[in-house]
Amino acid sequence: MKDLIIFSVCLGALALLNFYRFVKGPNAADRMVAADSTDILISMAMMLFSLYSGRGIYLDIAIITAMLGIINTMLVGRYLDKRRWVYHDDDDPADNN
Amino acid sequence: MTMTILRIIIDLLIAVGVIFALAGTIGVMKMPDTFCRMQASTCITTLGVLGVGLGALLYTIFVMGSAATAVKVCVICGLVLVTNPVGAHAIAKGAYQAGIRPRKKMEIEDYRRDFNE
Amino acid sequence: MRKTTFAGVVSTFVVCYVFWILLTWSLDSQELIYGAVVSLAVALFSSRFFIHEKASWFFNPVKLINGIVFWLFIFPVELIKANVDVAKRCFTGCKNVNPGIVKIPVDLKSMYGQAALANAITLTPGTITMEITEEEGQTYYYVHWIDARLPGGQEAGEAIKGRLERGLRRVWE
Repeated sequence: MKDLIIFSVCLGALALLNFYRFVKGPNAADRMVAADSTDILISMAMMLFSLYSGRGIYLDIAIITAMLGIINTMLVGRYLDKRRWVYHDDDDPADNN
Repeated sequence: MTMTILRIIIDLLIAVGVIFALAGTIGVMKMPDTFCRMQASTCITTLGVLGVGLGALLYTIFVMGSAATAVKVCVICGLVLVTNPVGAHAIAKGAYQAGIRPRKKMEIEDYRRDFNE
Repeated sequence: MRKTTFAGVVSTFVVCYVFWILLTWSLDSQELIYGAVVSLAVALFSSRFFIHEKASWFFNPVKLINGIVFWLFIFPVELIKANVDVAKRCFTGCKNVNPGIVKIPVDLKSMYGQAALANAITLTPGTITMEITEEEGQTYYYVHWIDARLPGGQEAGEAIKGRLERGLRRVWE
């Protein structure tokens, strides 16, 4: 079935376009948004390629890519936040934002 | 005959996903400011992922016929859909707190009125 | 820091174990025992971060069915409408946007409900929840909206989250 590999290549090309915004972006938030989209598109392309080639190992790599992408995004988001160090141990973690 | 119709349906679903991913990519490339780029990138992670994932799910169930692969495809799509909004609003709040503002002033801006000055 | 309760450990353990079985997808006895040990350890150490209120709402069948109906039938309709709208804006040159940050009141009381509503708002393209605050007993969201045609308040809230909130209230009330 050839069309799966065609769609997979299309998704890879879209990931490259997002990567252009990652290189060019004027500030950190732009770069992070583009990196997140690149992650998810690469993971989808890997999923389609796994179905095309019939090998299960790419699906595991796609799961790990999606998981690490969200951790990456959360990390940079918390780093950009100015009020990130006002967190004490005796505070209620639900009421602190 | 049934196989042909099934493959056409799978191709249509994946094509819808790729088209919405293209829309999101165009938005990320060309939108005027940071927050609007963020909005456009949500297009990739919702209907792009859902279209590609539904097509891949139908393919694994009816063409490949393996349950383990179908479950893994479901896990990938569910993981992306559940965890992505958390990262999205962490990035949005962090960008606003770090002082990133749109070039043109926004029409309505309650957040600055209540929190900054 | 919150205390570790028994019900919290049990519910976290069940969710972790189901996830483990889905990922490995084999009913071999070694895998099952190893998964039970690992998810019990994870539940003991991390349930106090996950469980904030009543721990066992997930196992109430009526609320579970309401939740499935919401996430499978009500939410995708809103998702597809918003997606088509944003995709139209993207394909026609990205020029007709008027972004703004509006403040909308929310009536949900439960903390899980508020988190789910914030995630649902963020997941529909065109709106991103930025912060949740509470003033005089009323919860407010700050939402970045790509088409801010109304000032904040009740009407903007109805336009952004009307159907989502009505669906979620049946799950978490």
